[in-house]
Amino acid sequence: MEIKTFLEKLSERTPYNFCDYSDNSIYRRIQKMQDDYRMTLEQMLGKVGEDPSFINKLVDDITVNTTELFRDPDVWSFLYDRLYPQLQKKNKLTFWHAGCSSGQEVYTNMILMHQLGVLDKCRIIGTDINVNMLQKARAGVYAKSFNSSYRNNFDEVMHRIGSKSRFEDYFDIDEANDTISVKDFLKKEPKFYQYDLVTNRLPFAYKVDVVFFRNVMIYFKENLQIKVINTLTERMYQGGSLVLGKREMLPLTFKGRYVKDGMYYTKL
Amino acid sequence: MSKDFDKYKAVVIGGSAGSFALVLKVLSNLDKQFSIPIIICMHRLKHVRSGLVESLRMKSKLPIIEPADKQKIEAGNVYLAPSNYHMFVEFDGTISLSIEELNNQSRPSIDYTLSSASVAFRDRCIGIILTGANKDGAKGLKDIADKKGFTIVQDPLTAEVDTMPKSALRLMTPDLILSPDGIIDFLNKLV
Repeated sequence: MEIKTFLEKLSERTPYNFCDYSDNSIYRRIQKMQDDYRMTLEQMLGKVGEDPSFINKLVDDITVNTTELFRDPDVWSFLYDRLYPQLQKKNKLTFWHAGCSSGQEVYTNMILMHQLGVLDKCRIIGTDINVNMLQKARAGVYAKSFNSSYRNNFDEVMHRIGSKSRFEDYFDIDEANDTISVKDFLKKEPKFYQYDLVTNRLPFAYKVDVVFFRNVMIYFKENLQIKVINTLTERMYQGGSLVLGKREMLPLTFKGRYVKDGMYYTKL
Repeated sequence: MSKDFDKYKAVVIGGSAGSFALVLKVLSNLDKQFSIPIIICMHRLKHVRSGLVESLRMKSKLPIIEPADKQKIEAGNVYLAPSNYHMFVEFDGTISLSIEELNNQSRPSIDYTLSSASVAFRDRCIGIILTGANKDGAKGLKDIADKKGFTIVQDPLTAEVDTMPKSALRLMTPDLILSPDGIIDFLNKLV
């Protein structure tokens, strides 16, 4: 069976459609699944039919779930200096992290809102296709030594924005269990919903000031990129902003009126 | 040499510890007319993320590009894997990026870049492994050799750290083992 056929059959038998994910990435990941499980594509499809929990495993393996606290410190300090001063004046601020995975960037942004003293008027939404990752996001507990760059990134951003805050102000560190946990005052605000950008209806009704959509569409073909960006930006206020990954661009064939300022796009 | 060099669609280079100075030397000594796209995957130390591209741009005669996802690979350019992203070559001659898990403790992973280039360009690819303290890249170079591409390993005796070239030599037999000057001569003769 070809991978293309496998993905088509998977989309017929499960709620998930990966047909328009970009080839190189998905081929490599499915190859790895075949090696890890020692199963053919036919066998994997069969197992999906017999054991519904296997679907979650497949989603885990197909999707890329890596994320970091304060990935790209220069991006965060740029947003802090250039975008957030304009937002600060609003009475209510809504942020949507589309494809938030285990939530590190959700908390990254909240820390910056806390730095600005506007966290109380923020509404924070995280969505992801992967239920296992959303559970991690809600828990806000991350492996410490595996993520040793967190502290450096945190310090770099705080230095850039001229803050004296310490990592310990936002995280409880548990050396014995080798974890860091997001402090409760941050954890109570964000709402995390399962949402597949490709197939589902949006799980919330708000209009959004800033959409974070970082390092997600690199896994999509261009037609899917455009479809998804349309969905995301329909929910944005006029003048709202879209933050992509550092090496991502809106597709050249995307039709929409946006102006790019360094690290983000603003909807005209 | 019996190979027909007109046919090559890309030179793909991987290196780690010690490779920055070497890449700088290669790029500053290449002929201005060198038109085969050069695709470079170098491990970067986390604390010196910035400044690398700027230094290369000052010395290189060819334009240095840190590509965006889905950017087209074009003649005469040098493409450098962006910090903290894996970089792949796609069938349609574009670059794709990924933030997925580290491979050989590395992101970018040289194996990923080289292997994807071997699939996209098959026998029309030149692969080069330079100095480095990691085995990343060895398997990728073997993939290029398996697809009948042309392969070069830096002579371990000339490498600042010889783990990477030696790992490649353990896994496969390259077409050439060259010193840094040998690599520069080789590339300039392709023009």
